[in-house]
Amino acid sequence: MSAAKLLKPHLYDAADGARPGAACTLRGGRCGRCGYVFFPLQRYGCERCGAHGDALAPATLSGQGVLLASAAVHVHEGRHPAPFVVGTVQLRDGPVVRTLLDHDPAAPALAPGQPLQAVLRSAGIDEDGQPLLDLRFAPTTA
Amino acid sequence: MTAPLTDLRPVYVVGIGMHRYQYMSETPYVTLGLTAVREALADAGLEWPQVQSAYVAKAMLPMAPGRPMLRHLGAHGLPIAHVENASASGSTAFRMACVEVAAGLADVSLAVGVDKPAKVGRAEALAGIPSLAGDAIVPFTHFALLADEYARRAGVDGVDIARVALKNHNNAAKNPYAQRRKERTLEEIVGGRPISGSLTALQCTPVGEGAAAVIVASEAAIKALGLDAGRAIRVTASVGRSQSLYPNAASFDANLTRETTAIALAQAGLTPDQLDLVELHDAFSVEELEYVEAMGLCAESRAVHELKEGAFDIGGRCAVNASGGLIGMGHPIGPTGLGQIAEITRQLRHEAQGRQHPNARKGLAHMVGLGAVCYVHILER
Repeated sequence: MSAAKLLKPHLYDAADGARPGAACTLRGGRCGRCGYVFFPLQRYGCERCGAHGDALAPATLSGQGVLLASAAVHVHEGRHPAPFVVGTVQLRDGPVVRTLLDHDPAAPALAPGQPLQAVLRSAGIDEDGQPLLDLRFAPTTA
Repeated sequence: MTAPLTDLRPVYVVGIGMHRYQYMSETPYVTLGLTAVREALADAGLEWPQVQSAYVAKAMLPMAPGRPMLRHLGAHGLPIAHVENASASGSTAFRMACVEVAAGLADVSLAVGVDKPAKVGRAEALAGIPSLAGDAIVPFTHFALLADEYARRAGVDGVDIARVALKNHNNAAKNPYAQRRKERTLEEIVGGRPISGSLTALQCTPVGEGAAAVIVASEAAIKALGLDAGRAIRVTASVGRSQSLYPNAASFDANLTRETTAIALAQAGLTPDQLDLVELHDAFSVEELEYVEAMGLCAESRAVHELKEGAFDIGGRCAVNASGGLIGMGHPIGPTGLGQIAEITRQLRHEAQGRQHPNARKGLAHMVGLGAVCYVHILER
């Protein structure tokens, strides 16, 4: 059986292999001129100082973070059939990201301050029938 | 060296006109727009040939709706420019008309907003930068996240936040130009269709169409054309800003509002407590709470308390969204910022029958738009 594919390989990586539950790191960037750390990596230019091209380098960001806010979405058109849970997460390495949470929308909401870890979860199959994995932030105890 | 608007020639709102905001219909946009412009001309006591430039605000109509509409007032050749700045399109068009008159390039200028619902994408989706969940987070979810964060920070709950919608629906019920004219109870609002987080359908602005027109003029034009100086309302501040880097990236709307409003108040030489009237961007109920705090109309985390005390009611300390706001009045996008100017003008002229805020003399109009961008204007009698 072939390994599952990452849905958005430009955004995250699973160092120990692509399988459900594997911990992820995030593919961020760091500005060599001003030190600004951002996610995701892009080479258009630094939002703090404008430096671009080679001045922007990849930076692997920890998948650990803390929940700032969450919402259960009841109505949505498009890729994600509702209901699902989204969250605002402060990454340990700095940037604030909006993400899907690995949390039951019918369960009581997670509290801000909840430690989270980026992990891979099953996300359907691609057009060739290969299993896909996508990143979710899941509650952890540490 | 740069200068604020008030260092240039004084600019006055002399005419306002609207086509009520309504659910999508078969009415052509030309009918919507001409209704608003003709009402503004009549209100000002002006004839169309006296208008020297036109800024047409729209976000959903396709290319170039302006001349096919305005030519039916008489095709006299005035310059026409279209303005799109997402939700802030109308406010931006207003700024441009004010700047043109203040700079002396025109004596009379029209800003008209007109729109009909259509599916329009965000250019940002074409920027080539992927996101973890961008396709899962549409505006009502962005604000549902803010509502969660606000509720915990301020120690309030979803029902408290819904009280913004209660006030604004009941204000809109008194406004003949509003899209939603039904009085509502808190139970109806909270018990309605859940959309995202604690936000229910009646706490979100509806989709709709409409038009709003504002004519601005110089003092010289008011004198030369014999316009009614007693009904002319002075524009004392006009500020536009865009989102910059803030420590908490998720609350950019509040940070942007704080910054833009502070500059506008400084331009007008006012403190927030001197405002009688505010029309702000309440596409989602939680926004009104965030923005009244960011503007300094009340202390941080105190907005629900003040709301419950009636501070922001018509007749309260400062009437917020006397028109019904985006929740009650609607948000057809192109017209919305101009509709705010029309409401403030009506209130400052003491002509807002049925929803007049007593002793209204100073009003502030606030819009944010995708980007994010923010535009704030202050009008004084």
